[in-house]
Amino acid sequence: MSFDFAVILAKGPAILAGLGVTVLIWIAGTLLGAVLGFLVATARRYGGRLADLVLSVPVEVLRGTPFLVQIFLLYFGGPYIGLRLDPVAAGLLGLTLYGAAYYAEIFRAGFQSVPPGHSEAAQCVGLTRFQTILHVQLPEMALLVLPPSMNMAVILLKETALLSLITVPEMTMTVQAIGSQQYAFVEALVVLALVYWALVEFANLLGRLAERRLSAYSA
Amino acid sequence: MRRQIFAVMAGAALTLGSALAAQAQDALARVMEAGVLKVGTETAFAPFDYIDAGTHTGLNVEVFEEIAKEMGVDLEWITLDWTGVLPGLEAGRFDVVAGPATITKERMARYRFSSPVAEATVALLACAKCEIETPEDIAGKPVGSGTGTAQLAQLQAFAETLETPPTDIKEYVSFNESYADLAAGRIEAVANSLPNIAFVASQRPEVFKVVKPAFGTPTYFGYPGRIEPEYASLMDKIDEILLAMKEDGRMAELQQKWFGTTFDMPDYVTEPNI
Amino acid sequence: MTWQLFELLLQASLMTIFVSAASISLGLAFAIGLSAMRMSGLAPLVWFARIFISFFRGVPLLVQLLLIFNLLPAIGLSLSSLATALIGLSLCTAAYQAENLRGGFEGVPRGLIESAEMAGLSPVQSFVWIRTPIALRLTFPALVNEAILILKASSLVSVVGMIELTKMAQNLAASTYMPLPIFASAGLIYLAINWIVAIAGRRAEAALPGLPAK
Repeated sequence: MSFDFAVILAKGPAILAGLGVTVLIWIAGTLLGAVLGFLVATARRYGGRLADLVLSVPVEVLRGTPFLVQIFLLYFGGPYIGLRLDPVAAGLLGLTLYGAAYYAEIFRAGFQSVPPGHSEAAQCVGLTRFQTILHVQLPEMALLVLPPSMNMAVILLKETALLSLITVPEMTMTVQAIGSQQYAFVEALVVLALVYWALVEFANLLGRLAERRLSAYSA
Repeated sequence: MRRQIFAVMAGAALTLGSALAAQAQDALARVMEAGVLKVGTETAFAPFDYIDAGTHTGLNVEVFEEIAKEMGVDLEWITLDWTGVLPGLEAGRFDVVAGPATITKERMARYRFSSPVAEATVALLACAKCEIETPEDIAGKPVGSGTGTAQLAQLQAFAETLETPPTDIKEYVSFNESYADLAAGRIEAVANSLPNIAFVASQRPEVFKVVKPAFGTPTYFGYPGRIEPEYASLMDKIDEILLAMKEDGRMAELQQKWFGTTFDMPDYVTEPNI
Repeated sequence: MTWQLFELLLQASLMTIFVSAASISLGLAFAIGLSAMRMSGLAPLVWFARIFISFFRGVPLLVQLLLIFNLLPAIGLSLSSLATALIGLSLCTAAYQAENLRGGFEGVPRGLIESAEMAGLSPVQSFVWIRTPIALRLTFPALVNEAILILKASSLVSVVGMIELTKMAQNLAASTYMPLPIFASAGLIYLAINWIVAIAGRRAEAALPGLPAK
């Protein structure tokens, strides 16, 4: 068995295009997921018991089922209820919902870990509930939720590879296609693994830098 | 502690070495000795190979059951996505591929094909209500086919001959997904071989229709195996059984059962059209 | 959605449960080995463990499985689909479990390790009999969490030829053209399994002997 990486690397531009799709969907899905997750966590915390109960259902369902089943359901099942999304839209929506469920839990834990005394004190000095959240709870939460948030972002980056199975032209699909056109499957997979590895380590590095930055401010 | 580690590593190296030695052995002798023929396939290629209510079935299953019976061995099926099947063959995951695959010049340079088992000429499957009556009608419409397939290559070549190209040529992990997207209305036609789409259309005539004539160059389906000399004996044996099945009418019977028709096929394809 | 189809999904979920349970157990054994390497102080072992953990946490499981499936035969190891799936899943979970165990090992009280030393236990004995059991106890909730993650991740092993719950759902969706009820049912089965694991985990956590005082 001989390995020929040249045939894979010759397709550099195509691989970069796939990488671009991966990174775009990842960043968009993570940001949208974090925002939606934050809204859900806030609603669960301040929206009363009913909102908490109702919102716990989608969160538990999304966290308790495989991402692959979720995107299959969305992409192949969607058209039967009038939801006909193209692969990129379905992939982005799937990633956003999946991420939102986990971010909702991260922010919920963050809310819970802020000592109630702090918010009570803030309300005593006349801050409104909204001001309390904005000026007291959020800054205290930020430091606590940053590490699990970065961790989740990395998990979402790896989940984007599954979008190849609903034909999103991201990196896994692109490199695999190149591998089968060039009859260099193993080489294609090795290149793919190395690029993901580098990307994940880079994201981890950014996460550590951000943590250091933030803890320097709050210290 | 260190000595133990070395012992484990030495053991691993030995196992590896003996496994490598086993690979160069004659494939037919190895299969007969093991009593098992390993067949790789995808189960999303009706009526050759598919899952009907949980059961693996199709022409391939029945043909390979005949082959195994004649050889006096058991069958072991390894089912993968099509993108994984030919790599799996090259990696030595299984002895032969049931696929089947369209016999092309490019593939013949890399694989040894069995005697052909069906016609593979490519045609279009369209949604029953779509305004596609001839192959040329796909101009300006989204279409699809299976990724890494000869059918896709033919569709792409055909699209280039059109003045207005299709708006999109989507590539699917398996043909089943392309049929699902056709039923869902994301695309308006799927390019696949006639036996396949004729079967799909007959299963769901209210949803799908076959667009005639076939636009592709006449081609055939065969079972790909390894081209290396140690596999020659195994592929010869498979051919011998397939040719006997064609001779005594068993193949025609199976074709009639699965395709509703029989095909005129050469014993061997030596000069594929594509 | 008929009962017959649902029954097929239930049957396939047995494979999901088996593959997951076996991978979790194998992965735990590998993870303890990786932890031992990382704490051995021998540079090659420490680096091997670090790179191993970084790689298996840094590459999507889908790519890992495809790589193992195609690479192992290239070095002469021809394993069945089941063996490949178990190797892939257990190596991946081993990297995550080793990372969880790291926190557990750090949580072992220093005094305990010192008293073990004074009682005449060798470093290996101390690792096997004192530090590992405590680290496992401390990280038990993380193990339950990891079990749920692996149950979900096992949905990918169809790419190496395994027919488990997700693959069966795909097959049935293709032959019946009813993807919505079939994938929804598969999702419900995953949800039910994960609930049972989570509840059993909480019960076990409560039943296990308490944590040592710090």
